[in-house]
Amino acid sequence: MVKTLKKYKWPYLFICPYFILFLCFQLVPTVWTGVISFAEWDGLRQLKWVGLSNYAMMLKDYMFVDALRNTALYWVATAVGVLLCSMLIANMLHSKKLGAKRFFKTVTFLPYVCASVAMGLIFKMLFEENAGLINEIILSLGGQRIPWLTSSRWDRIPVIILHVWRLTPWYTLIVLSGLLNISPEYYEAATVDGANAFQQFFSITLPMLGNILFFCFVTVTVDSWKIFNESYVLAGPGSSNMSLFQLLYTSAFSTFKMGYASALGVVLILILLLISVVQFMVRRKQGEI
Amino acid sequence: MKRMLSLVLTLTMLLTLAAIAPAAAEQATTYPDGTVSIYCTGQPQFLQMYFDGWLERNRDIAPNVKIEMVQVETQAAGRQKISMDYLAGAYDDMPDAIYSDAVGIVDLASAGLLVDETEYYQAQASLFVDGAANDATIQGKVWGLPDSVRPQLLFYNAAIFEQYGIDPATMSTMEGYLEAGRQLKEKSNSEVYLSYVDPTTYTWRYWGRRGLMPQANARIWDEEGNVVIGSDEGAKLALTFLDTLNTEGLLYKTTMMSPPLYEATDNGQIATFYIGAFWDEFLRANLTATAGQWRAMSAPVFSEVGTAGAPVSNFLCVVNNGTNEYAGLIEKMWYDFHTDNESRKAWVNEMVEIGGAYSNPITLEMLADPFWQETAAFYGDTSFRKAEGDGLNNPSKNMTVTISDAEADTIISAEIEKYVAGEQTMEEAIANMDTELKNRIGQTQIP
Repeated sequence: MVKTLKKYKWPYLFICPYFILFLCFQLVPTVWTGVISFAEWDGLRQLKWVGLSNYAMMLKDYMFVDALRNTALYWVATAVGVLLCSMLIANMLHSKKLGAKRFFKTVTFLPYVCASVAMGLIFKMLFEENAGLINEIILSLGGQRIPWLTSSRWDRIPVIILHVWRLTPWYTLIVLSGLLNISPEYYEAATVDGANAFQQFFSITLPMLGNILFFCFVTVTVDSWKIFNESYVLAGPGSSNMSLFQLLYTSAFSTFKMGYASALGVVLILILLLISVVQFMVRRKQGEI
Repeated sequence: MKRMLSLVLTLTMLLTLAAIAPAAAEQATTYPDGTVSIYCTGQPQFLQMYFDGWLERNRDIAPNVKIEMVQVETQAAGRQKISMDYLAGAYDDMPDAIYSDAVGIVDLASAGLLVDETEYYQAQASLFVDGAANDATIQGKVWGLPDSVRPQLLFYNAAIFEQYGIDPATMSTMEGYLEAGRQLKEKSNSEVYLSYVDPTTYTWRYWGRRGLMPQANARIWDEEGNVVIGSDEGAKLALTFLDTLNTEGLLYKTTMMSPPLYEATDNGQIATFYIGAFWDEFLRANLTATAGQWRAMSAPVFSEVGTAGAPVSNFLCVVNNGTNEYAGLIEKMWYDFHTDNESRKAWVNEMVEIGGAYSNPITLEMLADPFWQETAAFYGDTSFRKAEGDGLNNPSKNMTVTISDAEADTIISAEIEKYVAGEQTMEEAIANMDTELKNRIGQTQIP
């Protein structure tokens, strides 16, 4: 051990700053979260050990069930939406027929650089029941007003749209970089063999983007389980469109139940670990990694 | 003779020196250079204007002191920031004071984060209206200096009532208020709503906790701290009344303090607001088409109970951030704000000009000044200030505040929000909030 450290002292020294930061700001807080998940604590008064009661509370808490169900829905809808939209937009940006590519690339990236809370407030106005633009359009087309943000039947839709809209540009860039790495010779050969654009997409583009799309799926998964701003700003009735992260925040900083919030954090970590492990196992089974 | 004269002169000099000495010592008390940081919800920039002026007038004791009013979105957000700073040991980042309501005071005081103001306040208590510090008093100790005591009022658009031939005086009772809403709906072909209902937490806050609940003598907890909201007659009276207004289609559904609400109000679609006196500043700042048509009166009473709305008190609390070197200065600023009538009036006139926020005074001497009865063009040359003062007569008692109320509010509000969304009846909402409170809190401590 000491020998190895001596031998590779310079490489270890170079990666040291990252690991110090990781230790101080990620590992220690994570362990501490695990510890206080077994306690009742409001951050100010004496910490009181309560065993597993914070975890037991989750089973009785309908807000936790709502938040878990909503977050799972956001994950699936966002993953599908973001991957489809970014594939579509990246292919359009990659197309030889498209002019003014720089302009379109810049425009495509704009939603990602906008502050999510500010965009949430704009979406809130757009989806307002009585005076929002979306309902005005629906009315002009002969439809009825939809209570987008005031009914638990509809209130997840604006959240999903905003989240997909915000994340798509980033993943479009990643997919576009993948497309640029595919050699044009494959397409030339396919054209000579008489393959149409549809066949080329499914036989060349999609398989060649496999690892890129897998990376996107893993990161979209993490982003979606961490969703907070969108559902916080576009809050519906009660906990009907609340995310797990939002419940964690509310428990910690509105009602000051740090122990319960920590237990929620631990559950969130376990869910993300489980999903990631399953994803990697599937890819490994496919022989892709 | 000469010796006698010298003795008298010496004695006179000594006595004069003795008399001057304490004053000189007091004058010598200056506060260190720096910034006094105060957390405040609402629109603290207007309050800052007063305190900036006060500091300029008192440069002898605070030559290089600045004041920073930090806006916090909610009082819970203010508590959160203080708690986090305290937890992190970042005492320098903690504010020197916070404007807080009773819920915040219970929380912060029990954690030892507020300075005990009992001795200081009791020396001034006779200057203030009765019970001004009641909501900041826990087991005999005063944890906040009273800043405002604002009543629940009924704001109404007089032009709408005139147009449909309805006498606003009928709204002195809840029954009359409901009847006025029914008539407005009928006579306007459902164009005019009695009031509004908000799909978010504001419905519980303004219709419930600060409005109908204390007026109906409703309780969340009994004397032992057990949950009783599900069986309490007062809670049933309050929430059933809201249910009647809502199910009869008398409430316009929109978010509070948002452009669509102001637009609908200016279009004459919303006739009244049953809400705290603070709503005055929002009306003045956001309504133009209906300016001059608004009036304010005391909140309607439930005939079963007979009281006219619980006042909302706000307190200036000095934060225990280690060595709060500005505690004395904050007390002086607070004292002058409530006793320097001329400066206060000048500031209020400035607020009226710029559409800023201000509240009625709470000291007896200031309240006796006719200035606080003056009329305003926005209220059709009637006096809002007088209405605010009158609103404090016959007050309802505020609901008991416990350390669990921040969490209880979240639980109750979630059920009310689902009710407003049409996903459950009010009966179901009451039953659910009772069950959830019992599940998640159980029993609380009554201070």
